[in-house]
Amino acid sequence: MIVQEISAKVRAGERLDAGDALVLYRSAPTGLLGRLADEVRARKHPGRVVTYIIDRNVNYTNVCVAQCNFCAFYRLVGSPEGYVLGFDELFEKIDETIAVGGVQVLLQGGHNPDLPLAWYEDLFRAVKARYPSFKLHALSPPEVIHLSRLSQLPVPQVLDRLIAAGLDSVPGGGAEILVDRVRRLLHCYGKASADEWLDVMRQAHRAGLRTTATMMYGTVETDEERLEHLLRLRALQDETGGFTAFITWSYQPDHTELAGSEATGVDYLRTLALSRIVLDNFDNLQASWVTQGGKVGQLSLAYGANDMGSVMIEENVVRAAGASYCMDEVEIVRNIEDAGFCAKRRNMHYDVLGDPVFRERDVPRMLELAVARDEGGTSLPQELLNYPARSRSGRRLRVIPN
Amino acid sequence: MPVTDAELAALVHSHDIIDIGIRADDARRRRHGARTTFVRVADVPSDLAADVRVPPAAREVRIVGTPPSKAAALERIRAVVSAAGGAAVTGFSLADLEQLAAREQVTLRALLEDMRAAGLELVAEAPIDRLQNPRRSIEQVNIAGLALARLTVHRLESADLAALFHEVTALQEWVAVIRAFAPLPRTINRSVPTTGFDDVKRIALARLLVTNIPSIQVDWSLYGPKLAQVALTVGADDLDAVSAVDDLSEGRRRAPLEEIQRNIRAAGLDPVERDGRFEPIAR
Repeated sequence: MIVQEISAKVRAGERLDAGDALVLYRSAPTGLLGRLADEVRARKHPGRVVTYIIDRNVNYTNVCVAQCNFCAFYRLVGSPEGYVLGFDELFEKIDETIAVGGVQVLLQGGHNPDLPLAWYEDLFRAVKARYPSFKLHALSPPEVIHLSRLSQLPVPQVLDRLIAAGLDSVPGGGAEILVDRVRRLLHCYGKASADEWLDVMRQAHRAGLRTTATMMYGTVETDEERLEHLLRLRALQDETGGFTAFITWSYQPDHTELAGSEATGVDYLRTLALSRIVLDNFDNLQASWVTQGGKVGQLSLAYGANDMGSVMIEENVVRAAGASYCMDEVEIVRNIEDAGFCAKRRNMHYDVLGDPVFRERDVPRMLELAVARDEGGTSLPQELLNYPARSRSGRRLRVIPN
Repeated sequence: MPVTDAELAALVHSHDIIDIGIRADDARRRRHGARTTFVRVADVPSDLAADVRVPPAAREVRIVGTPPSKAAALERIRAVVSAAGGAAVTGFSLADLEQLAAREQVTLRALLEDMRAAGLELVAEAPIDRLQNPRRSIEQVNIAGLALARLTVHRLESADLAALFHEVTALQEWVAVIRAFAPLPRTINRSVPTTGFDDVKRIALARLLVTNIPSIQVDWSLYGPKLAQVALTVGADDLDAVSAVDDLSEGRRRAPLEEIQRNIRAAGLDPVERDGRFEPIAR
């Protein structure tokens, strides 16, 4: 089928199959892809509102046994650069987040064998006791699988315990490309196969949680595999309707074992536009300004995105791989309005919370993103002594000196 | 097809950058097809105390900064020419040279002729919003036997784009020697930078409105690969200031030449390396 005919299908609101989508992705001019994606966005969001959330990406530990070769953030068990955040450190970060109008933390971390399920439950309970209305958007599917393996409990039971402790929603990290050939090459098949990732999301949706979905492209996958990823997400969304949003970003190669080069800005805009067209059952697509920078991030709003993502406050993972863009609320709103949209704050469920906070009260400007810990800060939180460690180095660290 | 005044007003105030971009891309392809030129440039400070280092990959050696005196400028040009290995030597902002000529109490033409005699081939840039007398000064460049590498915009962040591009078009009608126009401002306000929409619209409108200058140019190092690459899809056809330092510390795939060619191809275009004299480099 030629591009014109496929374009007509998109304009008529018909669903594209893999063959149509591939032709469009490979052959449509970038302008046309953007035009089609923008038309789909406008049908779903006719009010020209673009949303964003004020939250903070907190990475509670960088210790990880997964060893994905595209990751520059992790440290091996026993590494002197490994860290685990203490509860008090996290509370401090939440205080800072609330001070600038934040409503949740996105809490993700490495697969640390020395943090048992009880540590997460206690952390979540402590957060909820202190900040009852503050939301925990936490633990991507591979982390849930890691906890399932560590605790020898099935995933639904792990999710139930986390929900009981305060988990509000699940972020879509760790999806990379949901094709096992790719996952094996990226050394991430072990942390979660494509089916396992999808099944955690299925279980989370069944348990009543809403989640997001992501795609990290630009490593070793083919165009067909990018599409397969999108189609698998679309199929699960047909089944559960539990995804609130989709976010795609390009692999960031700096300081990674995989190395190589980053996909280009045009590739990002084309991939975003294709995602908007293919994922016809997803309401919201976020712009990944944190990997693409503010300018291409803003241009995303013309290529299918209806959300500028998160003010973020803190970010550690893509920064470790070379991306270090920062936009505070003032800058995000300026970009949204400059593109001709109306900026509204939202929560994880995409309920509109109101107008920009900085227009209601003074908020300090934020010109660079915070980090999990200052460089070299690897002190062991006291409360860790209450939990058993599995690794030898973890056990050694938890011996209280006389 | 020329843009009417009514269309122009609509374009300038439109947020539909996809539509503007598609129109500009059509105009660019009618003129240049998929051909996209780029130039690898080695910057050399005008400060006499600084070393002159010219990487072998440089196709243009550009003297940057404000020369303190005519004598210092000429000495610097001679030193750079002797180190350039045949690459085109360009340098200076024409606005700075206007001021230097006034300070030295010589005519601009005399200053430019001396620079040419010292080995300068092209004046690196003429910032339209800083020149005291754009027509006359650019004519002096031509009369002195030099060429102008590019017409630039120094700041003009909130300028009336239509008025700016009409001024550029009128200037070219008069002087007829401008090869490239770089419409994105050279000086960026760090606290309120231009947005992606601003930049894309400015590039696209320049392509649509300034029809008598062959190349619409973007500075690769100033605006970065992502924005510069997107600019190629909305009217730009030439990339300036690609690094001539073939630093392979990140591996061959990330060397500047590979990066630029990969980005141009990923935009669906054909890369052609050129030199500082705007001549394609045969391979």
